[in-house]
Amino acid sequence: MSAVDYSQELSVVEGKPSLRSIDDVIVKPLESKPDKKFYIALSVTVSMLGIGAISLALSFYYGTGLWGNNNPVGWGLPIVNFVFWVGIGHAGTLISAILFLFRQKWRTGIARFAEGMTIFAVITALIFPAIHIGRPWLPLYLLPYPNQHSLWPNFISPLLWDVFAVSTYFTVSLIFWYVGLIPDFASLRDKTTNKIKKLIYSVFSLGWRHSNRHWQHYEMVYLILAGFATPLVLSVHTIVSYDFAVSIMPGWHTTIFPPYFVAGAVFSGFAMVQNVLIFIRKIFNFEHIITLGTLEKMNKVILLTGSLVGYAYAMEFFIAWYSGVQPEQFAFMNRVFGPYAWAYWIMVSCNVIFPQLFWFKKVRTTIPLMFVIGVLVNVGMWFERFVITVTSLSRDFLPSSWAYFKPTLTDFGILIGSFGLFFTLLLLFTKTLPVVSIAEVKAVADDAQPSHGGH
Amino acid sequence: MSDKILHSITAIFDTPDEIIHAAKKTAEKGYKNYDVNTPYPVHGMDQAMKLPPSKLGYFALVFGLTGTLTALALMYWMSVIDYPQVIGGKPFFPFPAYVPVMFEVTVLSASIATVLSMLIVFFKFPNNNHALHDTDYMRKVSYDKYGVSIEAKDPLFDEEAVKKFLADIGGKEITPIYYDNEEINHKNVILEPKFIGLLVVAFIVVSGATYVMMNKVLFLPPYTWMMSQEKVIAQDDDSFFKGTQAMLKPVAGTVSREHLPYLYMGKPEEAAKAMINPLLPSEKNLALGKKKYNTYCSPCHGYFGEGDSRLRGQFPNPPSLHSEKVRNWTDGRIYHVIMEGQNVMPSYASQMNREERWATILYLRALQRSLNAKETDLQ
Amino acid sequence: MSSTSIKIDYIKKDLPDIVIKLGYGLFALGLIVAALAYFTDPTRAAYNNLIVLMFLTSIGLGALFMIGIEYLMGAVWSVPFRRVMEVLAGVLIVLPIVAIPVYFNMHDMYHWTHHDVVMNDAILKSKEPYLNMTFFTVRIAVFFLLWIAFYFMITGNSRKQDKTGDQKLTTRNIRLSAIFMPVFAITLTFASIDWMMSLEPHWFSTMYGVYYFSGTILAAIAAGTFIIIKLNENGYFVKGINNDHYYALGALLFAFINFWAYIAFSQYMLYWYANLPEETFWFIARWEGSWAYVSGILIFVHFVVPYFGLLSQPSKSNASRLKFMSLWILFAHIVDLFWLVMPTYSKEGVKFGWMEIGFPVLAIGIIIIVFSMLYKKMNMMPIGDPKLKRGINFRL
Repeated sequence: MSAVDYSQELSVVEGKPSLRSIDDVIVKPLESKPDKKFYIALSVTVSMLGIGAISLALSFYYGTGLWGNNNPVGWGLPIVNFVFWVGIGHAGTLISAILFLFRQKWRTGIARFAEGMTIFAVITALIFPAIHIGRPWLPLYLLPYPNQHSLWPNFISPLLWDVFAVSTYFTVSLIFWYVGLIPDFASLRDKTTNKIKKLIYSVFSLGWRHSNRHWQHYEMVYLILAGFATPLVLSVHTIVSYDFAVSIMPGWHTTIFPPYFVAGAVFSGFAMVQNVLIFIRKIFNFEHIITLGTLEKMNKVILLTGSLVGYAYAMEFFIAWYSGVQPEQFAFMNRVFGPYAWAYWIMVSCNVIFPQLFWFKKVRTTIPLMFVIGVLVNVGMWFERFVITVTSLSRDFLPSSWAYFKPTLTDFGILIGSFGLFFTLLLLFTKTLPVVSIAEVKAVADDAQPSHGGH
Repeated sequence: MSDKILHSITAIFDTPDEIIHAAKKTAEKGYKNYDVNTPYPVHGMDQAMKLPPSKLGYFALVFGLTGTLTALALMYWMSVIDYPQVIGGKPFFPFPAYVPVMFEVTVLSASIATVLSMLIVFFKFPNNNHALHDTDYMRKVSYDKYGVSIEAKDPLFDEEAVKKFLADIGGKEITPIYYDNEEINHKNVILEPKFIGLLVVAFIVVSGATYVMMNKVLFLPPYTWMMSQEKVIAQDDDSFFKGTQAMLKPVAGTVSREHLPYLYMGKPEEAAKAMINPLLPSEKNLALGKKKYNTYCSPCHGYFGEGDSRLRGQFPNPPSLHSEKVRNWTDGRIYHVIMEGQNVMPSYASQMNREERWATILYLRALQRSLNAKETDLQ
Repeated sequence: MSSTSIKIDYIKKDLPDIVIKLGYGLFALGLIVAALAYFTDPTRAAYNNLIVLMFLTSIGLGALFMIGIEYLMGAVWSVPFRRVMEVLAGVLIVLPIVAIPVYFNMHDMYHWTHHDVVMNDAILKSKEPYLNMTFFTVRIAVFFLLWIAFYFMITGNSRKQDKTGDQKLTTRNIRLSAIFMPVFAITLTFASIDWMMSLEPHWFSTMYGVYYFSGTILAAIAAGTFIIIKLNENGYFVKGINNDHYYALGALLFAFINFWAYIAFSQYMLYWYANLPEETFWFIARWEGSWAYVSGILIFVHFVVPYFGLLSQPSKSNASRLKFMSLWILFAHIVDLFWLVMPTYSKEGVKFGWMEIGFPVLAIGIIIIVFSMLYKKMNMMPIGDPKLKRGINFRL
């Protein structure tokens, strides 16, 4: 085993590439035509999207009776999928904003991509509240505007807080992503020779000139946005958790839900980001920018957040017993031994047991192993939302109302479609925008900053 | 060549150390209208250029707090003044419930306002007609070089002196930048006609589209499917049996559960003779009878059958049940009264089942006996 | 680079007399107050003693946690003053002693210690396998042992490294920190449940451990910040620790102020919203009579003032602002513990007197004495740590 030398700082970008080569390697996918592999991948994701579109069309035509939602499980796959996708979005903001506040330079290689994933994940997530309100063509009823009914939305409902939270999250993430893209659009504008592309890049760059008088304000605003985005991302999944926790349902009404959901969101988000990045760095030759060290650090975050999720599971169980509240105790026994025990054990093994393998450096730095664990984490987190939503509803206070919920093919079709939408947007993103932030990576390359620190 | 107007002299530098040094020297020399262009922010450049700290933090604070208070005020007005409702037993002003929305609005307003302020107020963007655009200088500083540009409008500007100065501090490729025709006429006014026109058009399009959508499109199929659904509404015409309501009456002769057809409707004397109380006056039956009597009979007849009920004065009181007439009625005759009603009294057939009716009659008999007790009862 | 000691010109200075005198003075004063308190009103004294116990646990365990986090994250900026945290973690050694008077007064504080009460109460009876004196004693003993064991192991390695500069000791500490983290999570949670949540044995909250954790982290960072700045200003570290390091401390304080507010609000709002009597009574008790004022003061002291005090960029690196805010936050943590513990003792309203001032004074005295005693035995900087040079040169 090679000894680590703690006195040396690890380079963020390996191989000491010049600014020129960083620029070139990041811009290359944008200048080159898509190859066969891209089209194969795109056709797979678009087919998945197509399945989703058909399922949605059928749902609009025949009504939500096509789904598994019924009494007593009135919240089924739409809510599970919504929480799942919003959670995945959180990794992006955490990487961009929180790691920025902690001055972790290793985020620069992955921040742009992760933010893009956030936006696509939130777009995907927004499908679900849109379709599972009664009349999706009247979504503006959710917003407080003066209307002929003289009605206002119910500000006491956490579902309305969700409207504000997710739309704010989407808007601010989009702004944050765009602000980060402005200098890159300018670099693209100055590099391209294609007239149409130059026009598009000029418009989107707003005329950025790389002036330091502008960089000064830009950095301040970036810091402010990061400073706002951090509590924002925590608040979004907190408010999503409030959807469940404000109720009196056993298994839902526990005070630990807010940080538990946030930890779970970061957990699944990082697993998804890690999975996608493994492909991206290979396909686009970004291995020296998105280094193995970066992936290893992400796996450490996965380990940490997975442990937090495990802690929350343990606390829920202990307090359910300790409280002496019988419906609560039953709810947890039901999870472990009831009709959905199979879902419960998938959840526990994927969320608590397998990620613990990341304690071992070998596992953290081996790509196939970390990929598999990442996939398992996402499976486990989907099942966690399934277990929380469905087990509590299928067997709550009144035994005569108990029933077994089964998702239908349409439900699964929409779920597949959501993955299709997400990956299609991601693929299109790789070919239209720089997936790594050119300016930020240049700034943390070796020898990019003045030697005497400038202070 | 036509007489072009000079914008600035530019110089290129190769390393971050050099550009910091160059910036320091430029600021020290007294130039005010100059700029440093780098492909990414270089640490220490702000201090080297002696730039005052950015004020955007204050913008964020002010806009953020405005958002918080506005959200709070609006929610307060909507929920306490305009349309108060009791929801979930919560007070009209449930402050803890307002906190999440207040927080989100704070972040939203601060973020949007700060970014727009930065772009529009501080940068005066969008501006794609600046003199430095589309020059080799810009292409280089976009890619991997650093540059200084000293503008002609600086009071200390002198073309030769600036060129020499830039060479002295280590600048390479010292080039003059001239204004292009459209750039010189570029006035960066936010309220220029094209932009206002765009806003007006956007407003018309959006409001028009919303109007058409909400008032016209939503009344077309398939949106109307929800309004006219394939279901039966009770008061509509029935599609199978013309001329009848959808909510059909039961077929003649239908008997509801736990009820048998009553054979003596309108025939009190026959009822009196034909029906016999099947229940024995046991404690259980009397208890049931008491319960039902107190529920159904006492409102008019009073708790003791004397007719002095709590409806006294509001409703015609019935005659006492202890009268000779009633005491001499058979149980069957009383049963008939329960089934058919009498004068103002309605039928109580649907309120009690057969067992309960007979039990009530037992209890009534007990009450009657209490006021007309036999000598032997007292022993 | 070699793995032998890095050449740092560190000279160890003695702590000034005034600090030692202050420590012993406060300790003596506090001890007299405590003795008088136990003599006059042992129950009230025990409650105050409990607050001191939980406060010292926060400081000691929180400091050890910060050390562990530094090792696990490979953080560099905090290395130059990690030794301050190690010394603060030494407070863990005195915890068993501080716990003893509380332990022997438990019968007057905790309902569930009364066997007859438990047998007649269905809820308490169901908790009896957990809430009984035997298991309780075993738990707190195990927790103290584990905490003290990890303290000696981790700080021992760090101190050994001063002499040998061996990088393997860092690797070993990273492993120990990794094992310590889950131990910390479980022991801190159950310590807070055992000592504080069970004061109201009918009440429960899954967030309670996290809530106590948020206060603990703040107390540890605040105590550390104050000491670090004071020491740095008086030349106890080498040159090079400057505003950038302070900024990191200030940013952490700000972040965890927000975290505490978030946890506190969530716990409250969820119980307010569901409105279940078995959960709300705990909060209603803290709105009873003069407790309402304490609840309001808590929000103001623990959130509003530190939030706006540390909001701006420059304030996070300003030495005098940070010193003031650190002491303020320590005070806020005591108010927090007071709010958690005392309503069980005096349900009708706040009882505030010389005891409530004297016991915290005792706590401060204990911290200063532990600090000065441990300081004699070691350097104030981990001079053998391989990351030390990078730490001193840390710039934003």
